[in-house]
Amino acid sequence: MVEKVVVTGMGMISSLGFTLESNWKNLVEGRSGVHTISRFDASSLATRIAAEVSPGFEEFSRNYIKKRQAGQMTRVTRMCVTASKMAVEDASIDFDATDRRRCAVIMGVVNTGNSSVEKDTTLQNFVFKNMSNSMAAWISMEYRLNGPSFSVNTACASSAYALALGFDLISQGKCDIVICGGADSIVNPEEISGFNALYALSTSNDLPEQASKPFSRDRDGFVIGEGAGVIILESFSHAVGRDAKIHGEFAGYATTSEGYNIMAPAADGEGMAYTMREAIANAGIEAGEVDYINAHGTSTELNDRYETFAIKKVFGDLACKIPVSSSKSMIGHTIGAAGSIEAIITVMALREGILPPTINYRLPDPDLDLDYIPNIARVTEARVALSNSFGFGGHNATLVFRKHPS
Amino acid sequence: MALITDKTRDEVREIVFDFFAEECEVDKQTIHDGTNIIKDIDGDSLMFLELIEIFKKKYNLDIELKVIGKYAVKHPVTTIGQLIDMQMLIIEHENHLLELER
Repeated sequence: MVEKVVVTGMGMISSLGFTLESNWKNLVEGRSGVHTISRFDASSLATRIAAEVSPGFEEFSRNYIKKRQAGQMTRVTRMCVTASKMAVEDASIDFDATDRRRCAVIMGVVNTGNSSVEKDTTLQNFVFKNMSNSMAAWISMEYRLNGPSFSVNTACASSAYALALGFDLISQGKCDIVICGGADSIVNPEEISGFNALYALSTSNDLPEQASKPFSRDRDGFVIGEGAGVIILESFSHAVGRDAKIHGEFAGYATTSEGYNIMAPAADGEGMAYTMREAIANAGIEAGEVDYINAHGTSTELNDRYETFAIKKVFGDLACKIPVSSSKSMIGHTIGAAGSIEAIITVMALREGILPPTINYRLPDPDLDLDYIPNIARVTEARVALSNSFGFGGHNATLVFRKHPS
Repeated sequence: MALITDKTRDEVREIVFDFFAEECEVDKQTIHDGTNIIKDIDGDSLMFLELIEIFKKKYNLDIELKVIGKYAVKHPVTTIGQLIDMQMLIIEHENHLLELER
């Protein structure tokens, strides 16, 4: 028997807020979280802007993490644990009334953020701060869970892969609840210099809030973001059994590899198209049922071009009628956290009946002619949506969500 | 072998209580010799190592961690009182701690 997978809890931290509610409000209002970098002196770098999580997060996180544990975590790990605890609260899970052996944790982790700008790293906590499994470990320890607990790294698709793996654990009947997601920050001089060397980042330093402009003709690279997104996946039968609130249905997914290039997507979006087709088939839906696509939409020349071409390949004449938007226009590219953060936004879009916009869309690219929901959110009756994540190295994922009647 | 005085014991006791009150975010008045470090105040084994480092510096101790580790395997510490007793032995005997076993 294949179990239906539903979303019963969500927690999100980004440059637009520390809670799901504040994030959603700002996303719908089309606000940008991109500013001049404040965590360190970036004046010597080509890129001096990022979508940073506000410094107030440290105080906020003290409501969720004890001082002792906090000292053994990086700031990014604290974001992950805080978002996880908010998601568990949102799901109203009583783990004492749950079989902990059937509860898992899967986190998409590119790195733990133990960089040169991380504070208070000592010889005593270096190992704990650096362990890439630490986010999953802290969460499973917090709730004393005994199911699988691990991290997965597929670059910018990491937390989308975490959700995909969580989907499998539930749909195959191996778990009842999986805490899935990811957290990331590469706002540090080394990573910014490295991505600058690849000409991947926007250098629109004078107009930070307008720097991330996916699908626009004047796009000049992505803007680094940071944050965490955690989703509680649960079997439908288990959720109904405890009368849980259901945010939406996770209908299916595809994870594929392009087998092509360490940085660039395959020509004309062939790999992206293949991923979306496979996801649609896995969810058991028709392409014509898709009402919204939350794009990977990085604001780089190649991604936005090829993602547009890929959508056209998959949806044909319907492509121009499907609203597509990029949340990265507002919160930047949150790297390992992007998949789960954007999955949360997709679920919220279906639940609330509002599609968040692509902001900074002022100069249309003549080659990119889809409906990108320019600048202003749109009220909609969307029932099925895709969330795309495409990582360096050709790690692709497309997740399919369906509005739940509740 | 160092000479242990009442003053030393009081100092160690004060440092241990302050350390756990601060790290575990608990009221110092609630800590006593019978307090279970893990079950009662949500402490962890790393705290033991951190305290050893504190005492090594304070009393300029000559002791290797592996010596303490070998001793602790046979004399596990679960309460604050046991931890203070072991710290006193460490200060008193330093690298000769294992000779207490003979």
